[in-house]
Amino acid sequence: MSQDKIDMLQRALAREKAARKQAEKILENKAAELYEAKQKLEISYAELEALLNKTDSQLQGVFENIVDAYVIMDLWGNILKMNDPAVDLLEFEDKKENANLMDMVHPTDLKLVSETFKNLIAEGTVTDSNFRIITKQKNEKLVHVNASIIYDNGSPIAAQGIVRDITELNSLQLQKERLLEKLEKSNNELQEYAHIVSHDLKSPLRSIDALVNWIKEDNKDKLDAVSLHNFSLIETTLEKMEQLISDVLMYSSVGVETLEKETIDLDALVSDLKTILFVPDHVSINVLQPLPKIEGEKVKLQQLFQNLISNAIKFIDKDAGLVEINVKDNGTHYEFSIKDNGIGIEEKFHEKIFKIFHALNKSKDSTGIGLSIVKKIVDLHQGQIWLESKPNIGTTFFFTLKK
Amino acid sequence: MKGIVFTEFLDLVEDKFGLEVLDKIITQSNLESGGVYTSVGTYSFSEMLQLLQHLSAHTSISIDDLLLVYAEHFFGVIEESYPGLLATYKDPIEMLSSIENHIHVEVRKIYPDAELPTFEVVEKTQNTLVMIYKSSRAMHHFGLGLMNKTFEHFNAKASIVLEKLNEDGTEVKFLINKN
Repeated sequence: MSQDKIDMLQRALAREKAARKQAEKILENKAAELYEAKQKLEISYAELEALLNKTDSQLQGVFENIVDAYVIMDLWGNILKMNDPAVDLLEFEDKKENANLMDMVHPTDLKLVSETFKNLIAEGTVTDSNFRIITKQKNEKLVHVNASIIYDNGSPIAAQGIVRDITELNSLQLQKERLLEKLEKSNNELQEYAHIVSHDLKSPLRSIDALVNWIKEDNKDKLDAVSLHNFSLIETTLEKMEQLISDVLMYSSVGVETLEKETIDLDALVSDLKTILFVPDHVSINVLQPLPKIEGEKVKLQQLFQNLISNAIKFIDKDAGLVEINVKDNGTHYEFSIKDNGIGIEEKFHEKIFKIFHALNKSKDSTGIGLSIVKKIVDLHQGQIWLESKPNIGTTFFFTLKK
Repeated sequence: MKGIVFTEFLDLVEDKFGLEVLDKIITQSNLESGGVYTSVGTYSFSEMLQLLQHLSAHTSISIDDLLLVYAEHFFGVIEESYPGLLATYKDPIEMLSSIENHIHVEVRKIYPDAELPTFEVVEKTQNTLVMIYKSSRAMHHFGLGLMNKTFEHFNAKASIVLEKLNEDGTEVKFLINKN
């Protein structure tokens, strides 16, 4: 073999050896890199695992402590997981039970539920869906469901739902509706009854009145002054009795809330009243500030102001009578005041006067119902009524009406 | 450039032209590595260029033709080492059109720092494919050789026209028609 060839072969061999060493070195480095990478991976795996455990136990806590029934199911309705309230609601033996929720749907609601399920899968969520189910123990329940789809990498894999038993709530609602209906009916009946009774009560009064008149006519020469006076007392009493019956009727109708609420201009209402009411010459009625417009029923508001103003006029004993009407805005309500310089009311009667049939002055035109009607109207307008008064100096009635 | 390209190249030179020629081109070249290559190493592309230039000078075969032959040899390496990769394809057009999205992805798993050319698919039908090759190495004939062998692998024939889009051949259009 020539020297050149030997040299060439030696060079080739040297290259091969060097290449092998180089490869070994590279692989060694790679092995070391891999080892380091593995160490790092192990550490971060441990960290991730710890984090996952923590999150998992937090989620488990939420799952267990949630008050409502919480169910996770697959896309075919098979229950994958549920919490204790769900076990109670569905009346299972325990959490391990295998069941399909679709099998529990009441047959008549099946169509509705499968539509809802389709929506759930298409939209991702379903809220406020109500339907009936039949529990494991064969009880029918009405449930309210909010559900959403659980996705994995964008594709739906399961559904979760919060289920509430609204059977009782629903029956209470129905019961309430029935009661309201009944109440309305009996209210109407009562109203009608009050009308009939007042009519029936008034007609014997009119007969008595007529009879008394006839007796008076027939015996007008035979009756002495005392008897005539007694007859006139009978007439007055009869009139009072009739007034009393009318007032009772009015009182019973005030409580009935009609739906006809409108905007009432109280300024116009009070100036109308001033022309309707009998105001003696020595009494002046002053409205100190423009009165507001409020939402309410005209007839009732008229009754309210009429009663208070005529009361104020009635009990004025001074030579120059003064009635002052004022208003102030206190945010949610208007506060009205009606002030007079009349006989005043002793403090011990301040509570009593709003109760029915508590007239302090026995007179023919005072039945003791007026202020109780006033109180009822103020109540209807979510307001309050009170008074300040000093005997012989005057009285101020305050009341509030909701805006 | 990945070591495997060098080691396979040197093997082929030794096979076809003998150890003397291999020794000659290595000694003629000014190689940083000293001609010592391992498939798992990484070396400068200029070394490959020098080896090719000296081989071309020695054999009077153009660099392009050398690359073409080398690529055909290299396809054999792929066939032997990664039969699974080739088995995922039923059709050469499918395989060539997914160089970028599949084959190079797999290459990067083994050689994360590999500097790969890009093959942009411009047009594709069942039997035709137009791709634009881009690489600073201008080794388009290496690509052409691999393509030829790809058709052969699937027992198909094709006419492949290579159209240089610039002077130095770093951008080349491949017009492939399956016969």
